[in-house]
Amino acid sequence: MSSRRSRSRQSGSSRITDEQISDLVSKLQDLLPEARLRNNDRMPSSRVLQETCNYIRSLHREVDDLSERLSELLATSDMSSAQAAIIRSLLM
Amino acid sequence: MDIKSTPPPPPHQITNPSRRAFLAWAAASPSKPMLAFHFLRSLSRIQGVTPVRRRTRTIRRAAYSSMARAASPRRAWSRALLGQARARRSRTLTGRALLLRRRVTAAAPAPPSSPAARSARIIAAGGETSAAARPLPPRQVGDPPRADALRRLVPGGAGMEYCSLLEETADYLRSLRAQVQLMQGLVDLFSCQ
Repeated sequence: MSSRRSRSRQSGSSRITDEQISDLVSKLQDLLPEARLRNNDRMPSSRVLQETCNYIRSLHREVDDLSERLSELLATSDMSSAQAAIIRSLLM
Repeated sequence: MDIKSTPPPPPHQITNPSRRAFLAWAAASPSKPMLAFHFLRSLSRIQGVTPVRRRTRTIRRAAYSSMARAASPRRAWSRALLGQARARRSRTLTGRALLLRRRVTAAAPAPPSSPAARSARIIAAGGETSAAARPLPPRQVGDPPRADALRRLVPGGAGMEYCSLLEETADYLRSLRAQVQLMQGLVDLFSCQ
């Protein structure tokens, strides 16, 4: 891994090992949606980063999409009673 | 898709299944009720005040702000998002005269952007500085190849070490996913009533 070279350049107070980094990368891999489809074999870390970037971008697009749908729903229906009921049931 | 989806409820039970499913989702983990609370509160403010044409953009910003508020302030992405929101508000209030770059806004990457033209128009219309105006985060030495793309996507990712970037990404991803599930649940709930 190229991070082996970078380790000699680290001048910080804490030595970050390859093992810590690959541990974090595998945690990221578990968060990806396709992690459940495979049997969780370790993907190369570049692949994990790539998939993570794609996943974050798709989530951003979904937020945009859902914001638009929510704004349409806010315009057409009166939600104050529904919102009050939800908040009440959430907080009790 | 990774989103919880409720099947369309039969007409005679129209409110109960979506609401039950929503409450079940909220009870699933301790951070979710706070997320829902912050977002619903922002939504009710938006409903009363904002003119229709800017509602989508305001809701989107409220989504990211409430996500950041519900998260722990220890998280750099949470602080970066709230700092961006604060800077945007002060820019709006004092006009173009206030362009002074605080360290937070200078270090934070451009707000989340999407390739779709529709979303780009929403972002650009807000008067936020484009990627060209804001200096790109300097590429850190020793980074693996894809890390700079990740730094641009995760708020506040520019100044971090690679190790912290991975941790922040994992937390940001979890919160983002929960926020999307929340919004999807709300859309289901409100479109059935």
